Amino acid sequence: MDTITLRRFDLADADAMMSWASDPVVTAFTTSEPYESVEPLLAFIRDTVLPHPWFRAICLAGDGPVGEVSVTPTEDRCRAELGIMLARAHWGKGVATAALKRVLATVYANLDGVERVEALVDVDNAAARRALEKAGFQQEAVLRSYCVVKGLLRDMVIYSFISTDTLVE
Amino acid sequence: MEVTLRRFDLSDVDAMMAWASDPEAAAYCRWEPYDSTEPLLAFIRDTVLPHPWFRAVCLAGDSRPVGAVSLAPTADACRGELEYVLARAHWGKGVATAATKRALTTVFGEVKGLERVETLVDVDNPASQRVLEKAGFRREGLLRRHY
Repeated sequence: MDTITLRRFDLADADAMMSWASDPVVTAFTTSEPYESVEPLLAFIRDTVLPHPWFRAICLAGDGPVGEVSVTPTEDRCRAELGIMLARAHWGKGVATAALKRVLATVYANLDGVERVEALVDVDNAAARRALEKAGFQQEAVLRSYCVVKGLLRDMVIYSFISTDTLVE
Repeated sequence: MEVTLRRFDLSDVDAMMAWASDPEAAAYCRWEPYDSTEPLLAFIRDTVLPHPWFRAVCLAGDSRPVGAVSLAPTADACRGELEYVLARAHWGKGVATAATKRALTTVFGEVKGLERVETLVDVDNPASQRVLEKAGFRREGLLRRHY
C-alpha cells in the first residue's frame, strides 16, 4: 500500500478529476451526475472546491490526484458531513480506508468547533461501508427511505466518528 | 384524548405565549423562550403563516391552541422533520401522542412526495421518546454529539 497524501486542489487538477467525476460507476451511489466535459468541472472547482473549508485531493506517493475527500460543516457547527470519491482504477487497494484514516487524524485540528464527522452511505454500497468501518467510523443507524437517488427511494446508513473516538492505526 | 390540528392565525399569539415563553416547554427545542409577544408575532407572520406545514394543536371542541406541530422540509422532498411543542399545563394527558398521530395521518396526504417523517429527540428526553414510540415512530439509532 503506497503512502497516500491529502492536499488542496488546484484548477490544474481538473483533468485528473475527470477520471472519477465523469465515471457513472463512481457516481452511481451519489446524487451527483457524472460530468460530461471539463468546463462545468472547472466551475465546480472554482466555485465550490477552492473556497471550501475542507476539500482535499487524495494522492498516491507523490503522484496526481486519484480521488477527493471533503468534510463540510452543517448548520450546527459541531457536526460536519464527509464525502469521498475515488477513481475506479484505485478501488480495492485500501486507498479509501487510508484516506479516511488520514482525514480523521487531521480534520478535528483544522475545523474549529467540529465534534462529530458523519457519513451517509447507501445501504448497498458495501465497499464504502467497509472503508468507513475499517477507518474507525461507527454505524449508528439505518435511515429508512431517506432520499431519492437516481429516481429510487434509498435506505442510507449513517456512520460517525466523534472527536473523542480512538483513531485506528 | 382527541385533538384537532388547524392553521395558526396572528390572533393565536397570546395562546402561543403559554408555551413559547416557558423555558421548560422550550427545554429540548432548538429555539429560545420568548420574553414578549412582539417577536412572537413576527415569528407567526414570517415563519408560521408561510410555512409549508405548521399546525396548531387544539383539544377537541376547543379552538384555543395548546401546542404546535410542524413538518420542516429538508434537502429532499421525500423527507420531512417533525417537531412539536406543548404547553406544560397539558403534559401527561396523551395530548402530544394524539397530536403526533394526527399529524402522521395527515402529512402524507398533504405533503407531495413525502415518504419519510423523521424526528430527532434528545437522549435525555424520555418523555418525548415515549410519545413518539406510542405514535408509531420507530427508533433507528443514536446520533452521538449531534448538536
